[in-house]
Amino acid sequence: MPVAEDGSVTDALVEIRELHFKRGRNKIFNGISMDIPRGLVTTIMGPSGTGKTTLLKMIGAQLKPEKGTVNFDGQNVHRLGRRHLFDVRKRMGMLFQSGALLTDLSVFDNVAFPLREHTDMPESLIRHLVLLRLHAVGLRGARDLKPAQLSGGMARRVALARALILDPEIIMYDEPFTGQDPISMGVLVELIATINEALNLTSLIVSHDIGEAMSISDYVVIISDGAVVQAGTPEQLQQSSSEWVQQFLNGKADGPVPFQYPAPDYHNDLFSGDDSQEKR
Amino acid sequence: MLDWFQHFGRFWIDLSASFGRAHLFLGRLLLSLPSLLVRFGLVVRQLYASGVLTLSIVLVSGLFVGMVLALQGYNTLVGFGAEESLGVVVALTLVRELGPVVTGLLFAGRAGSAMTAEIGLMKATEQLAGLEMMAVDPFKRIFAPRFLAGFIALPCLAAMFSAVGVIGGYLVGVEVLGVDDGAFWSQMKAAVEFGDDVVNGLIKAVVFGFVVCWIAIFQGSDCIPTSEGVSRATTRTVVYSSLAILGLDFVLTAIMFNV
Repeated sequence: MPVAEDGSVTDALVEIRELHFKRGRNKIFNGISMDIPRGLVTTIMGPSGTGKTTLLKMIGAQLKPEKGTVNFDGQNVHRLGRRHLFDVRKRMGMLFQSGALLTDLSVFDNVAFPLREHTDMPESLIRHLVLLRLHAVGLRGARDLKPAQLSGGMARRVALARALILDPEIIMYDEPFTGQDPISMGVLVELIATINEALNLTSLIVSHDIGEAMSISDYVVIISDGAVVQAGTPEQLQQSSSEWVQQFLNGKADGPVPFQYPAPDYHNDLFSGDDSQEKR
Repeated sequence: MLDWFQHFGRFWIDLSASFGRAHLFLGRLLLSLPSLLVRFGLVVRQLYASGVLTLSIVLVSGLFVGMVLALQGYNTLVGFGAEESLGVVVALTLVRELGPVVTGLLFAGRAGSAMTAEIGLMKATEQLAGLEMMAVDPFKRIFAPRFLAGFIALPCLAAMFSAVGVIGGYLVGVEVLGVDDGAFWSQMKAAVEFGDDVVNGLIKAVVFGFVVCWIAIFQGSDCIPTSEGVSRATTRTVVYSSLAILGLDFVLTAIMFNV
């Protein structure tokens, strides 16, 4: 197990060090550091708007940080030239929230797309590989449908099949459970766990569905306000002494994260007779 | 007042920033063109989308523009007893001016807006980001084929517009208004120069094709990835392309025919 008793990682596939990033005037990351352990299912959790998706885009080098490094298997992805970056990206699979399927291609052609772009395999071999992957996600029968005919959960499963087709070392899931009905949610949870196990992958999930995420994760990182609040195995986090972590994991409305957005005193606000806002 | 200055400054900063982005974009676009040599099939598919599907509107417009030109030209020329020059008037107007310009405007409205909307939606639905993560360069796979296809399609469309326009002029001038058949064609043949008129008209069409496709693809890839952003980008494509075509037409005409 590449995670030690104290929650530190001994064998990391992705190392993020002192990452700083701003969007407009908003500071998204304020020197964030974390390790993604090799061969495990890791979940990054945190309140909405804390830049979880941005972090995935940084790992894929679609966004560049202002400061700090992201090392994938020892290589700094932001220092690579375009060709080498593309070589590294072939070793990553990414599952976008919307699926990001190409709308003008059928399910089959979508899954075959990376193979046709990057290899000279004969069609018969491509057909085998595509059907294998589609069978694994349970959609071999849907191969002739167009993405517009798929439900949200099916689109994500097709996208998963496509992300797997080049045999990546890591799969990154952007909010895989958001907006899913209980059945497709269960299917996705099952798929993520079995695929990670069967293909010996590293999985990185960004999510705020605590129940699902905790049930399949080996390692959890909670981030807030541009920094890591706590990282460790699900058990370690359940026993956390941090009130903030407890509030987040148990979904309490009030606590260290106040229910009220910062505002002037309630009483003064109501009765001071200051109507400057209405004038604006 | 200060607000006004701030808005004014912000407007110009945004405008010059997007102008700069557009040129960097063009640079990468041109560098991606050689990769199409090995995958010309991608271009052929786009030729169908932007060229063949625009053909019907171009041919119908060309026919009517030619017929109107003949009607208007005849009314003026007949006053001087020069109605036999009708063929010259129709052909020169079409080949030098209306062919490239009207085709360019139609192309911007029909194919350019479609390109922007398609690419904008691909951005909004994360398809472009998805391609990037699959190690596929959207410039080579998506943008360059559309650019080259539009660039090839517009001169062809403009040539067909002019040809159909001349036929329309013939139908109205000769068949309806009774201009002499032989005079119509022989005067046209004598007055229209291949190099000065036809080639210059085609050069205009090539330039317009370049500019319209550049604007359309850039606006699509630069849009704010929401439904509102895509609709704005589509509008901008049509407005900027039309203005660019009309402005460039003046400049090109001044260079080609007057200096």
